This record gives sequence, C-alpha cells and structure tokens, in this order.
Amino acid sequence: MMNHPSHLNISPQTHGIAFNGLLAALALVLSAVEMMLPPLPLLPPGAKLGLSNIVTMYAAGAVGLWPALCIAVIKGLFSGITRGFTAMLMSLSGGILSTSVMWLLLHIKSRPFGLIGLGVAGALSHNAAQLFIAALLTTPAVVYYIPWLIIFGILAGILTGLVLRIIMPLLDQLKYNG
Amino acid sequence: MFKKQDIFLIIPFLLIAAALLIWFGSKPNSGIAVVEKNGAELYRFDLSQQTSAQEIDVGGSYHVKLLLEPGAISFEHSDCRDQICVRTGKLTKPGQAAVCLPAKISIKIVGKNKDFDGYTG
Repeated sequence: MMNHPSHLNISPQTHGIAFNGLLAALALVLSAVEMMLPPLPLLPPGAKLGLSNIVTMYAAGAVGLWPALCIAVIKGLFSGITRGFTAMLMSLSGGILSTSVMWLLLHIKSRPFGLIGLGVAGALSHNAAQLFIAALLTTPAVVYYIPWLIIFGILAGILTGLVLRIIMPLLDQLKYNG
Repeated sequence: MFKKQDIFLIIPFLLIAAALLIWFGSKPNSGIAVVEKNGAELYRFDLSQQTSAQEIDVGGSYHVKLLLEPGAISFEHSDCRDQICVRTGKLTKPGQAAVCLPAKISIKIVGKNKDFDGYTG
C-alpha cells in the first residue's frame, strides 16, 4: 500500500490503518459541519452539499474500495447516532452506492472522467439510492422530486470535484509522508 | 478544468431533469376547491373537471365573486377595503388558500390524492 517508507519507522499496515481512520474522521467532521449549516432558502428540502462525499471519493481512488466503503458505513452509523434511523438508512444507501460507482468509474482503464465527472456521478448515484429508499419508506410520490435532485446533485457534484482538486495534494502528502 | 467527458455526463442528466420538470408541470392539477363562509362549507368544485371559465357569485355584503377556471380558482371581485383576497391571485395547487377576511369567505385547494408528508435527506 505504501510507496514510501515513513520516517516514523512504522509498518505500512499501521500507517494505512491510521490514514483510513484519519479519512473517516475527516468525513465525520465534514458531515457534522454540514449539519450546522442553515438550510439555504433557495434549495429544496433535503438538498445538501454532501461535503463528506469528498472524502469517500478520495478514498475510493487512493486507498481502494473496501476502506472507502468502510468510511461510508462509519458515516452512516454516525448519522444513525446523531439523526436517527431513517437518516442512517439514507446515508448508508447513498454512501455505499456512490462510493461503489465512483470506484468503478475510477477503475475503467481509460479513466474517462475527471474529478468533476466523478463528483457528479457520485452525487447522482447518492441521490438515486436515497430516493429509492425514500420511495420505499414513504410514498412513490417522491418521484416528483427527481428533477430537483438531479439539478442539485450535479451542482453539488461539481463542487465536490472542485474541492477535491484543491485538497487532493494535501491528502496525498498525508498518505505518503505522514 | 472540465474534461469533455464530464460535460457529456452532465448534459444528458440536465436534459432529463428539464424534461421531467416540463412533464410534471404540464400534468393537469387534480385538486378540489373548497369554498367556505364563516367556517361552513358552501361549495366544492373539482378543478380537473372544469372545462370553461365560470363566475360564481357568492354575494353577501361584500359582493364576493369567484372565478372558476380549468385547474384554478381565484377571487375575482370583492368590495372589501384591502383586496388581499383578489391580489392573492389564482390558486392552482393543493395546499394553496386565499381568504377574504371582511367577508369571512375562504377558498382553499385540497388534494385528491395523498400528497407529500415530508422530506428527509
């Protein structure tokens, strides 16, 4: 997993576990910060930035599918603790599907999409999974919500991609030199 | 910054969203208009069954007139001072309401089908 030996003289496995823990913590912090943001008046209810998806997206690319899924599950359990069972189902379904989709897109040989395309694909699949769960839990009438979820999913996905462009070098530095 | 493929991914989804919005918006409104005076129900109109515009004279001391149209209902006239009811305009969706307080007349649209209970995300 590690390309460079750490100067702290710890094993690559230890370093990997610590780094995954760091990413999970980062995802939780971003979720918590997002929960504190007031709902924007222009956005429809339920539309969120999905800041913590930045981390699952990075993890899908940098540490592999299973650690990334673990982060998504930890994020889901955290929503369960702080916001209740429905929120946990929503977070788990969206997180697991979007992480898998982003991982798949990252592992197509030709690497067709840039970070923005990946962010959009992740956000849209996240919304799709959540909408499916919402339709099961409440009423199929939530299909009327699809157009807004697509539009705000695209916006949030573009933002996710742009932010990851900026913080990727910092995370890589932590990964290799931490 | 945007790869060409990213754009190709985004545009189809935007088109789908636009098409769905237009489709959902063009569906006839299936609400039922309920007219109440002093809290007691006077009339009940099925807006989706309405095919032409029709004026309903509720009368009373303010000569309230309602305008019933396909998919919409509004206060057309009232002698009241504030004209809040008239300025509310057309009601088209379940949940909307307009009230003429001096005349104690209210109109509201209730849904035929079960509507959204709430959202989560």
